[in-house]
Amino acid sequence: MHSAPSYSAPPREPLSNRLKSLFFNSPLDALVTLVCLFVFSYLIYSIVDWAFLSSVWRAEDEATCRETDGACWSVIDARHRIIFFGLFPYEEHWRSTVACVVMILTMIASCVSWFWTTVRLGVLWIAGFGLFYILMHGGIFGLSVITPERWGGLALTIFIFAAVSIIGMPLSVLLALGRRSKLPVIARLIGLLIDFVRSLPLLTILFTAAVITPFLLPGWLLGDKLYRVIAGFALFFACYQAENIRAGLQSIPSGQDEAGLTLGLNYWQRVSRIQLPQAFRNSLPAIVNQFVITFKETSIVTIVGFFEILASGAAAYGTGVWTVHYIEVYVFIGLIYFIFVFSLSRYGAHLEKKLRVGHA
Amino acid sequence: MNYKFARVLSTVATSSLLALTAVASTAHAANGDTLKTVMDRGSLLCSGHNGSFPPFVQVTDDNKWSGYDIDYCRAMAVAIFGSEENLKVVPISWAQRFPSLQSGDIDIIIKATGWTMGRDTELGIQFSIPYFVGATNVMMPKELGSTTPETLEGGSLCANAGTSTERLAANFFQSRGIEVEMITFEKAEETRDAYFAGRCDSIVGWGPNLAVTRQSAENPDDHVMMDTALALEPESAAMRQGDDNWVDIANWMFAATWIAEANGITSENVDDHKANPADSTVEKLLGVTPGIGERLGLSDDWAYNVIKQIGNSAEIFDRNIGAGSVYNLERGLNSLWSDGGVIVPMILD
Repeated sequence: MHSAPSYSAPPREPLSNRLKSLFFNSPLDALVTLVCLFVFSYLIYSIVDWAFLSSVWRAEDEATCRETDGACWSVIDARHRIIFFGLFPYEEHWRSTVACVVMILTMIASCVSWFWTTVRLGVLWIAGFGLFYILMHGGIFGLSVITPERWGGLALTIFIFAAVSIIGMPLSVLLALGRRSKLPVIARLIGLLIDFVRSLPLLTILFTAAVITPFLLPGWLLGDKLYRVIAGFALFFACYQAENIRAGLQSIPSGQDEAGLTLGLNYWQRVSRIQLPQAFRNSLPAIVNQFVITFKETSIVTIVGFFEILASGAAAYGTGVWTVHYIEVYVFIGLIYFIFVFSLSRYGAHLEKKLRVGHA
Repeated sequence: MNYKFARVLSTVATSSLLALTAVASTAHAANGDTLKTVMDRGSLLCSGHNGSFPPFVQVTDDNKWSGYDIDYCRAMAVAIFGSEENLKVVPISWAQRFPSLQSGDIDIIIKATGWTMGRDTELGIQFSIPYFVGATNVMMPKELGSTTPETLEGGSLCANAGTSTERLAANFFQSRGIEVEMITFEKAEETRDAYFAGRCDSIVGWGPNLAVTRQSAENPDDHVMMDTALALEPESAAMRQGDDNWVDIANWMFAATWIAEANGITSENVDDHKANPADSTVEKLLGVTPGIGERLGLSDDWAYNVIKQIGNSAEIFDRNIGAGSVYNLERGLNSLWSDGGVIVPMILD
């Protein structure tokens, strides 16, 4: 038995020495360092000055916006309700707020490992989704009916993302398993479907769902434009995610499945106990990546006339005195996107650490 | 192996979908009793925007649609139902408006849509009479002292590169023998900023857009429009082809607001006029003597409701674009003919 090799860490140089050797090693180094330092501090100062020092914050102070060079956050103060809620009726904004909070809590809860069984996740999502829908749509419990063409802003973005994930994720598992099916007809057909959808741009699929399906389907099957678009989006998501999951499935040595077979496990037992847990773990980075992409791609639905957060932003600055302050609105929306996407990717990184992805 | 096949399939599918739209558009147009569909549904579906297009379609601080075109959507709903509660404004993008009309997602497009021959003949669309003329115009600083084209002799003009307005402006000044230097920019924001930064003496654009640009100036009153328009585009409501009654309703909805203005009837005094009609036209307009409703399949007081709830054409313009709004655009050619404009109300007999 080996004893652990004992090695002493090399002596650490004091910080000042290391900085000196890194940045001021020669006169040229020093010059470059100083110039860069100056440029960076100037940039940072300009941004801070624009965003905070010379900026105007309150809606009533719009007139002073024209005199200052700084940001005019007044537009956010005056128009943030449009960015968050789109065209949702003003008096009912509490419903949209609560619905958003419910949906975000549902998303956070489903990141907790306690919920990771089919039943718990199912109950959680049906409850969260149902509550969101009741709050937004109304029609029962004395809530007035608000039809989807008035939904908008952050609430709509979250709804589309959540709906696409909920429908798309189980579908993607089915597609991935189907493509690896031992029955050639199913495997071929599903393979064809996946490749077909993946060879179309998302825009085409959304436009087809929104504009062309009304010509093809009978009225009773049509549903609202919003649901058609979500269905198309979910199919697109599922086809990409299915390939991620399939990659995870294929990285599992076939011996494991055969071992399961000799133990007398049936197909679903092998899939749910042996294959899927490992597949998710193996392709976790790609799966999280697909969620991140999907969240950002929700903005494409503006093309088929939905008032998601970017369109709401355009409406927020697109009136009267606010037309010049579009930069502030886009910065604000950028921050909102950042909060969501950054938490999503940090959560992904946390999961990878926890599941020790990348370690055998 | 099936990548290539899928590529071929997708091409076939996409083109067949396009063909289907063309076929379906004629099919939908044929079975047109839009008024009945709208009444059965209990709501009028009118065009909104995915964002805003001031001053025609925009959103107020309390999350409601507003704007010049939205007011005419409201007027249409009031004409049919007697209340704007029955209006549903559907947000649609520019590219989507004609397919959405064909597929029945909306019943009418009232959204700064120019009447062109291509749209009229090839898209299965029928236009109403123009309800707005959009003039391409030049804006310049007031301090130049005059608003004639000659004022700009030897000056410069900011324009968006490669647009029809750029060509229009070049032709306009060339044909008048006025020497104007064109400075072009790729983006509308750049053009606007260059004008305000003083890089050129004037800026060319579509009138309503210029008005929006003007009010974003430090002092909007410092900028004036040139007294001569370079070109006019007639804006009309667009509807599915083959439903004449529906087009009649749109036409007479517009006309009602004009006839009301010509007769001095406003949302304020409409009740007085209804009680004491000045002449037979007013009697017919306000439904004192029957006829105006029945011939369109509406109630006889539809025009009264429109004027009472939405106002006449002067009020609608003033509130959204003119002196009553932040944009403060001269009404100019959008006045009635009797005030020097191009709007001519039809005869109510």
